[in-house]
Amino acid sequence: MPIVTNFSDLDLSKQYTYADYLLWQFEERVELIRGFIKKMSPAPSRTHQVVSRKLTRYIDRYFEHKPCGFFVAPFDVRLVGKNKKNKELITVVQPDLCVICDLEKLDERGCLGAPDLVIEILSLGNSKIEMGEKFRLYEENEVKEYWIVKPIENSIFVYTLQNGKYIGLKPCIEGEKIISPLFPDLDFEIDKIFDSI
Amino acid sequence: MPIVTNFSDLDLSKQYTYADYLLWQFSERVELIRGFIKKMSPAPKRIHQEISHNISGIFYSNFRHQSCKMYTAPFDVRLPIPSKKRDTTVVQPDICIVCDKSKLDEAGCNGAPDLIIEILSPGNTKHDVDTKFSLYEEAGVKEYWMVEPLEKLVFIYTLQNEKYIGLKPFSEDETIKSPLFPDLQISLKDIFEDI
Repeated sequence: MPIVTNFSDLDLSKQYTYADYLLWQFEERVELIRGFIKKMSPAPSRTHQVVSRKLTRYIDRYFEHKPCGFFVAPFDVRLVGKNKKNKELITVVQPDLCVICDLEKLDERGCLGAPDLVIEILSLGNSKIEMGEKFRLYEENEVKEYWIVKPIENSIFVYTLQNGKYIGLKPCIEGEKIISPLFPDLDFEIDKIFDSI
Repeated sequence: MPIVTNFSDLDLSKQYTYADYLLWQFSERVELIRGFIKKMSPAPKRIHQEISHNISGIFYSNFRHQSCKMYTAPFDVRLPIPSKKRDTTVVQPDICIVCDKSKLDEAGCNGAPDLIIEILSPGNTKHDVDTKFSLYEEAGVKEYWMVEPLEKLVFIYTLQNEKYIGLKPFSEDETIKSPLFPDLQISLKDIFEDI
């Protein structure tokens, strides 16, 4: 297969694999969702950046002496789906933040398999994919906990996997502390994430 | 007890009851949350109004010949809160569905509606996402929808073992299937039509 250097040479109606993805050398950031290309925004908004950095600060501190890996976008996560023997990887996402406690999933290219925790920060215009396709993708791949951070309302929606299905907890909103069933000691006031945006 | 005609005569740090509430004859819209007064915004924004119309239109045609009744704000709902004295919580949900007609009286609804829908407004989300969420959960409202106009999302929470459990959020292009009313299918395109 040849190297692709122009995004416009790709066929958005076609399904690709991770092998194809590795040959793409253009500047655009893309994700591969069930084989289909999803172009990411060229650079996330300022708010997105600020919230991401503040979350990183608290989460990094928490995992500093814990046997889990913590990564911030851009970081490739290859998801295998229900059919674990599927060698034709067709889903590659770049979550805003993710935590992986099974270190065997990590390799030089990123993470192969489901992280334990994925955090996505919503910006206007991307909620359809974060709430729709990615929600289902993370559920199907058994990402144990999924946080959806909504800077517009200073809130965090936490979904936790129970019997293979996501269950939404009471949303965390200003004045409250984040509650993570997966990492109960990871508690910080969410106002600290959103102040001075 | 005397009739109160000026909102400013009320003591916001005091706890009131529904009996007090009935004597308030000022123009401000208020709710009574566990006895405390919560002033509502004078008039919701245009988008809020349009979404409310769209949703109530859909429910109206679906519930027209059913035993369940739909009401839109302003409509007083007196919620039973087990941890509080009787008649200390009166709310005006944007939209509510009541299937047990014995709860209905001249003043409104005395008891928990089956479904409550609140349309979020920027600046007032904590009230709906936190305060009312906990109230509706405790009062036993079986299903709670929060409609988010900015990102065109609908969050649905359904009561299981007295706790709210959130479904997958609904986004544009999707169709809501309410666990409570499984025959009802509402597309988000209709909810956010012309918005």
